[in-house]
Amino acid sequence: MKIWTSEHVFDHPWETVTTAAMQKYPNPMNPSVVGVDVLARHVDPTGKLHSHRLLSTEWGIPSIVKSIIGTCRTKTYVQEHSVVDPVEKTMELRSSNISFTNLVSVDERLVYKPHPHEPDKTILTQEAIISVKGVSLSSYLEGLMANTISSNANKGREALEWVINRLNAEIEEFTASARGTMRNSMAAAAFVEK
Amino acid sequence: MNSVGEACTELKREYDQCFNRWFAEKFLKGESDGDPCGQLFKRYQLCVQKAIKEKDIPIEGLEFMGPSKGKTEDSS
Repeated sequence: MKIWTSEHVFDHPWETVTTAAMQKYPNPMNPSVVGVDVLARHVDPTGKLHSHRLLSTEWGIPSIVKSIIGTCRTKTYVQEHSVVDPVEKTMELRSSNISFTNLVSVDERLVYKPHPHEPDKTILTQEAIISVKGVSLSSYLEGLMANTISSNANKGREALEWVINRLNAEIEEFTASARGTMRNSMAAAAFVEK
Repeated sequence: MNSVGEACTELKREYDQCFNRWFAEKFLKGESDGDPCGQLFKRYQLCVQKAIKEKDIPIEGLEFMGPSKGKTEDSS
């Protein structure tokens, strides 16, 4: 069993990071995630939002292999449960693989909170527990997987930054076009009044 | 982003748009009353449940429930 942990600070407020995290896919850093579905979602009596999602991933298996094993069997699945508390400002996300559970289990936990000393920043603590089953090289393989998880975690953070930039660009575009429309209507109204 | 069921992707997109707007503009600002996306979610869910069964995806012990707040929903 291998445990990997990490901490990262985003230079954005918690609301921005959380909104981006809910829309993380698709993004160019995680091309293997090809499908995201919400299986269940509700706000509990304490006001926290629970979401249960299914992620479908495709690992770029060579097409010759696909043609042998069939395209239906090349997807792997991960289930993800998240809880967002808008009052305490925490988002916790837990995910685990539901494919190949007889071979390996990867459980990840991510927690996003406002930075304790810099309220306009967000701190992400992340941990993964990896367990390769029934193989004598398990600790070596677990080490390899921890490295993969570490580099994927970097990609995941870049992915959030990418989503945040995209959302900000959309807002700017919308504001600019709204301003343009308003200017035109005001000019038209002024013209009519004269 | 696609859905696990190809036929569900459009329903998923409509629901996602509704949810993302509600999440950023209402939920995070402390206004979680109201459920503007309930109908969209139900239609999307029916499609996804079918796709998951067809593809035999091993989701255990999951109750497929629509968005609710622990009290009965009115269908409006």
